[in-house]
Amino acid sequence: MRVLIIEDDKDVASFVQKGLTQAGWNVDHASDGKDGLFLATTESYDALVVDRMLPGIDGLTVIRTLRASSNTTPVLVLSALGEVDDRVKGLKAGGDDYLVKPFAFSELMARLEALVRRAGAGSGTPATVLQVADLRLDLLRREVQRADKPIDLQPREFQLLEFLMRHAGQVVTRTMLLEGVWDYHFDPQTNVIDVHISRLRSKIDKGFDRPLLHTVRGAGYRLDA
Amino acid sequence: MRLPALVRTSVFQLTLIYIGLFGASVVALFIFIYWSTVGFLERQTDEVIEAEITGLAEQYATRNLIGLVEVIRDRVRRPGEERSIYLLVDSTLRPLAGNLRAWPPQFDRPGELVEFRYTDAGGTEVPVRARTIAVGSGYRLLVGREIRELAQIKQTFSRASIWGISLTMCLALIGGVLVGLSAQRRIAQLNRTTRQIIAGDLSQRVPVTGSHDEHEELAFNVNAMLDQIEALLTGLRHVGDSIAHDLRGPLTRLRTRLEMLAAEEQPSKTSIEECLAQSDALLATFNALLRIARVESGAYRSAFADVDLSQIATDVCDLYRAVAEDSEITLSADIAEHATVYGDRELLAQALTNLLDNAVKYTPAGGRIKVRLSKHEHRIRLTVADSGPGIPAADRERVLARFARLDQARSKPGNGLGLALVRAVALQHDGDLKLTDNAPGLVVTLTLPVSRNA
Repeated sequence: MRVLIIEDDKDVASFVQKGLTQAGWNVDHASDGKDGLFLATTESYDALVVDRMLPGIDGLTVIRTLRASSNTTPVLVLSALGEVDDRVKGLKAGGDDYLVKPFAFSELMARLEALVRRAGAGSGTPATVLQVADLRLDLLRREVQRADKPIDLQPREFQLLEFLMRHAGQVVTRTMLLEGVWDYHFDPQTNVIDVHISRLRSKIDKGFDRPLLHTVRGAGYRLDA
Repeated sequence: MRLPALVRTSVFQLTLIYIGLFGASVVALFIFIYWSTVGFLERQTDEVIEAEITGLAEQYATRNLIGLVEVIRDRVRRPGEERSIYLLVDSTLRPLAGNLRAWPPQFDRPGELVEFRYTDAGGTEVPVRARTIAVGSGYRLLVGREIRELAQIKQTFSRASIWGISLTMCLALIGGVLVGLSAQRRIAQLNRTTRQIIAGDLSQRVPVTGSHDEHEELAFNVNAMLDQIEALLTGLRHVGDSIAHDLRGPLTRLRTRLEMLAAEEQPSKTSIEECLAQSDALLATFNALLRIARVESGAYRSAFADVDLSQIATDVCDLYRAVAEDSEITLSADIAEHATVYGDRELLAQALTNLLDNAVKYTPAGGRIKVRLSKHEHRIRLTVADSGPGIPAADRERVLARFARLDQARSKPGNGLGLALVRAVALQHDGDLKLTDNAPGLVVTLTLPVSRNA
């Protein structure tokens, strides 16, 4: 995976660069909007991490310029502003996801992976059946089965499982779940999401030898075979 | 007050302009009255003189010099109060006929209209208005009227106008100065107060006299503004102190911990993770503070739109029902549909989350939480009632402040900012937040106005 970080804060940039390199990513770094735009248009990346506040050309202009030239590389917008209307502005400019500083590296990693995966899936007919190991979720019939045994889920649990299955194999953070399943964009407090996960887990993993829903310490959850 | 300072003030300058304009119009008025009274009498006199001259010129034309002399002598003898004055002289200015002893020196060109005084037989000086014409070869005729009355009127009039105008000016000046001084005094007072405030004494207020005029209104508004600023500053200072106080503890603990870790040969992973968790909690507190500050500054207002509070309440209840059930708390919801408020969806959801979070945190196992959303004519009322320990009446206002935590709450996780955010959100939505007794437990009532577009 090849990623370009456009970020003027050296600490943040090196922290992200180090983490992503350790995770096996190939990382380029530009410290202002002009260089970033140049690299993003001349090289080919799987994803971009763009800070909103940049010297010279600001982050949102970089994204707008890329989108105007039909560059569809997924973009994760970083911002210290962290407010809802800012998020909307970032997404309107063509960003694919938005992350507020300060952030945990695991959150960035999870979101970046989700972005790359989503872009890779591309278009094509959307799947109506999701499958992870022996867990099957039928979107049309609203049915879930594990090892051919039907599992009865509440509507919200069904949505939660759908989200996890669409991101199978990736780390999904609590914030991502609140956004993806409940469509709210604030920090979930205490353990609300954990409780929902543990209920879901008891329904899909209980009585089976191999657990599918894993807790990733300090980051979130992963649904994996 | 020093005079130059007074002269520089705008009130004084306005007064001067006012006096100038007022004076000019008074003078114009006097001129008009003069023209229409004294002028009228003068024109009348002139007409009489003109008529006499025409008559006498005809006499000369028909009856020659002798006839003219006869007519003049005849007319001089005629009685009357305002006598006519005649004098016919030859080319050496020797009188031939008339009631004037000598040719007045003022006349040297024929046709002129001149006023002069002569001393009559009784020895009194009499004012005369007269005109001369040339008669025949070298003779000159003076025809005039005594104008005792006109002169009297003129004199009286000019005296009256001088007095009148001077008096008017004096009164205008005195009035202007008085008005100017009083306005000046009040503005000076305002300036003095503002200077004291600039110097740092924010408790100063502009004195209010109770005169209900625009100065009073200004003073009132300035005072109201100062109250607001003082309240904000006090709040800010309080927040600053609280931040310093409430964040120093955890920061110090974190530092100590890291220091101990640094001294260890092989720091344990759990210790590092605990430090991380601690710094996350600190960051969360900072974020919450920042969010409250941004809410209070009205930064979200520009993005306000109609949002369905019923949907938000349903979502948040849905989010918390599992948590409540895990703690063996019954969470029941009675939510009226389509309650629309004008606001920010995320903020309202966050506020409700905070309320439910508190309720779940403080309600013991086996307890109940009731969420109720009801629509009233102009208001939407959302209550979260729990069966926890409640909050003593005396503390209910205090817990809405930042970092306010009751002693019995210290054992629970939290940063003491939850209700502060809810209140800030309520106020930004023109609503309010009230805590009441649920006997036992707490009822939190969030009242919001119904969206005007709904």
